[in-house]
Amino acid sequence: MIKVTIKLNSKTGVEQFKMIGHADSGPYGQDIVCAAASVLAINTINSVEQIVGVKPETSEDSENGGLLTAKFSSDHSRDQLLQMQAILRSFVIGMNDVANNYSQFIKVNIQE
Amino acid sequence: MLMNLQFFSHHKGGGSTSNGRDSAGRRLGTKRADGQPVKGGMIIYRQRGTHIYPGANVGRGNDDTLFALTDGVVRFERKGRDKRQVSVYPAADAE
Repeated sequence: MIKVTIKLNSKTGVEQFKMIGHADSGPYGQDIVCAAASVLAINTINSVEQIVGVKPETSEDSENGGLLTAKFSSDHSRDQLLQMQAILRSFVIGMNDVANNYSQFIKVNIQE
Repeated sequence: MLMNLQFFSHHKGGGSTSNGRDSAGRRLGTKRADGQPVKGGMIIYRQRGTHIYPGANVGRGNDDTLFALTDGVVRFERKGRDKRQVSVYPAADAE
């Protein structure tokens, strides 16, 4: 089970997300929920970096996988913040959709 | 960050099994069918133990293989209540 914790600031939007655990929805190489969660999270981090030009503060366990934290600071230009939050809101929508349809493998918890 | 679709999947190295070995098949079973002509010495049935017993003109090898002792026609028959045997009858009286 992957546990996704998203920290939301009512003023600035998504500040941080943390993902921990393994989906176990199938054998290695066929774990579709793992693939969905992986691509959503990693693509979000890479998109913020490449589109917004801001490098999120990340920490991960790339040896064993199953642990990823990303923090997004809010002291950037207004335009950058708009772009960043658009990408992060898209991440939240995608993660919620996956969790709604594969609830036995992934759970999303949004903290305000 | 490197795109890794298996990032949230258990890694392959989840222990290994000591199974996965098997011997080659021994190709047992019927080698000549009922009603088929055979020559002396021809193998009729390969088996482990006596699923089928040797009948008339049929010998049994030390690995329980059944083979014809004379030329003739193969006949699979019942032996008692629940057993089976195979015999070879010379062509003339095989009818």
